[in-house]
Amino acid sequence: MVSSCLAKVVCSDVRHNFLLHYLAAIIALAVTPIIFGLSELNEKMAAQPLEIMSPIFGMLLMTPIFMPEQNESISDVVRSKKTSHILVCFLRLLCSLLLTIALVGILALYMRYNDSKVTARLFAGAIGGALALGSLGFFSSAVGDNAVIGYMVSASYLLMNMILREKLWIFDMFSFSEGKTEINSWLYLSALVLIVLALLFRKYIKSN
Amino acid sequence: MLFFKECKKILRSLSFWIFFVITALMFFTQYFNDGKFRASEYTGGYKIVENHEQIMNEAINTLMGEYTSNNYVCYPYGFYKAVSLKEKKKEKVEIYIQEMMGVDHNGIEDILESHLQEWLNTDHEGIEVYLESTSSDSIMDFFSQCPENRFDDLTVKSDLTYERFTEIMGEIDDILGGGSDFAVDALVFNYSRVDMTDEDSLKQYEAFIKYDRITYALARLFSDYMGIDLAFLPVFVSAVFVAADRRRRMSELVYSRSISSFKLVFTRYAALVVTMFIPIIVFMMIAFIQAKVVYSGEKMSMSAMFTLPTFWLLPNIMVATASGMLLTEVFSAGIAIAFQCVWAFRCLMSGSVALAGDIGKFDLICRHNSTFDRDIFMQCFNDFVFNRIFFMVISLLAVCIAAYVYDLKRGGKFNGFKLFGEGGLLRRKA
Repeated sequence: MVSSCLAKVVCSDVRHNFLLHYLAAIIALAVTPIIFGLSELNEKMAAQPLEIMSPIFGMLLMTPIFMPEQNESISDVVRSKKTSHILVCFLRLLCSLLLTIALVGILALYMRYNDSKVTARLFAGAIGGALALGSLGFFSSAVGDNAVIGYMVSASYLLMNMILREKLWIFDMFSFSEGKTEINSWLYLSALVLIVLALLFRKYIKSN
Repeated sequence: MLFFKECKKILRSLSFWIFFVITALMFFTQYFNDGKFRASEYTGGYKIVENHEQIMNEAINTLMGEYTSNNYVCYPYGFYKAVSLKEKKKEKVEIYIQEMMGVDHNGIEDILESHLQEWLNTDHEGIEVYLESTSSDSIMDFFSQCPENRFDDLTVKSDLTYERFTEIMGEIDDILGGGSDFAVDALVFNYSRVDMTDEDSLKQYEAFIKYDRITYALARLFSDYMGIDLAFLPVFVSAVFVAADRRRRMSELVYSRSISSFKLVFTRYAALVVTMFIPIIVFMMIAFIQAKVVYSGEKMSMSAMFTLPTFWLLPNIMVATASGMLLTEVFSAGIAIAFQCVWAFRCLMSGSVALAGDIGKFDLICRHNSTFDRDIFMQCFNDFVFNRIFFMVISLLAVCIAAYVYDLKRGGKFNGFKLFGEGGLLRRKA
């Protein structure tokens, strides 16, 4: 009963609130071959499109999770319901995570099909970048109670990463493009911490 | 007074403080870091000598190499892209090469033949084996299987004018989709660079001290760095601010006030621009104090660090704020942000390869990432002045339209374009 109710909530969310964001992420994927060359690249060159576009997918899909409740009328209705709001947000997040991984996967497969050297570790590294930037947007929008704040912080971080590169130390999302060959596990860890903090913030601080 | 009330509101908003932190990060990690050290008298580097013969000959050698391997290196959006042309476009490029070199198709084949002989005469390990194993029917097929071909002794025909040459190069760049080594703007930079002598370096330093009086040069570098952030960050602050009435369900209350729509929208716009310029003024002061400390004892202009960045950066804030206000009123905050970010990113990435003097008449972001190269900046000074005034005027026009749209909304004649929700373009009818 509860699970079917949650499934309905998520389906309705996808149709009414997130379709535009999903569409934006798909458009971003579709324009990738226009912006970058994707054929016959070695691992270092193949990392460039993957490491830049993956965080953009993550940012577009994970930042607006709390957006429907930005409207105070909706927020009032949500508060009056018995279903856990955090659980609904968590399910929305799962949907976005899956779609992010799927889009990065499609891009990686397309590049492999065009004889680019996309290795498993490069794919894992790109997913790490997507989760890190997406969760930064997710956390900022949770704290700022506004998806625009989330986009502002994550877009600025992406730009700073392009400029500062290695100066960002363990939080550099473009390590493969700089010639490194190890997966940056700090990105996964920071994504996990930011997601947990954002959910805790919404549950214990924002709801009071 | 309404203006101060609006300023107070913006100063208390989270988006403004995030704007402040991000611009501060840009300032301290980029400009402040570079400005810590005195500019050296012997900088090295390169200088541009606009030698048309050199440009034409070097370009034709590069073009021939890329044409024969049918692998053109392009950076249309600032990122690497290898372009391979289909037969028809390849033929077009060959016709242009023939015109520039004054030869026909057989002439091109002869050039390739002698190039191949040259290759074979020099010791290219395994080339004979490679030649035997290849199933190429013609010499062109053989070259197209080589990943990279280098030519260095080709010359253009003697009666080819530089004007016709740039015309052809522009057309070849269009065929390749832009961002190639043959883009007209990039020709001089790509093919007419020579290393600076000590004397050249000294001249640059003299211009830095004597004509730029230090702070003009530093102000250019400061504006270059800060201009990147200011081309897109203000749109977030402005979008949050404009959408706040709707979000807090205050729109109707504001609509019912007696203040005119134009006065309200312009007051808000002025408040946004002024508050977002405050951090920049603070950074200008810090940059000036730093310059005073680093170049103590030298004569410097006292006003340059304030006047030039104001003229350079204010239009960036004005444009991003105005587009945020207009598009948020007409569509939504999301559309405004997407538009401004794509515009700024496109402008940043597709700029010229040379970061000094990368200033066009209609470039949102003006780039001059150097404390030197005063002469290059002065060459495009008229474009720079036109550019900044143009964007100021455009932003004021955008605010006028935003005020008009706001007035329509206030009168209930328009409710903005929405995709979903009540009255949305994609809303399913029952």
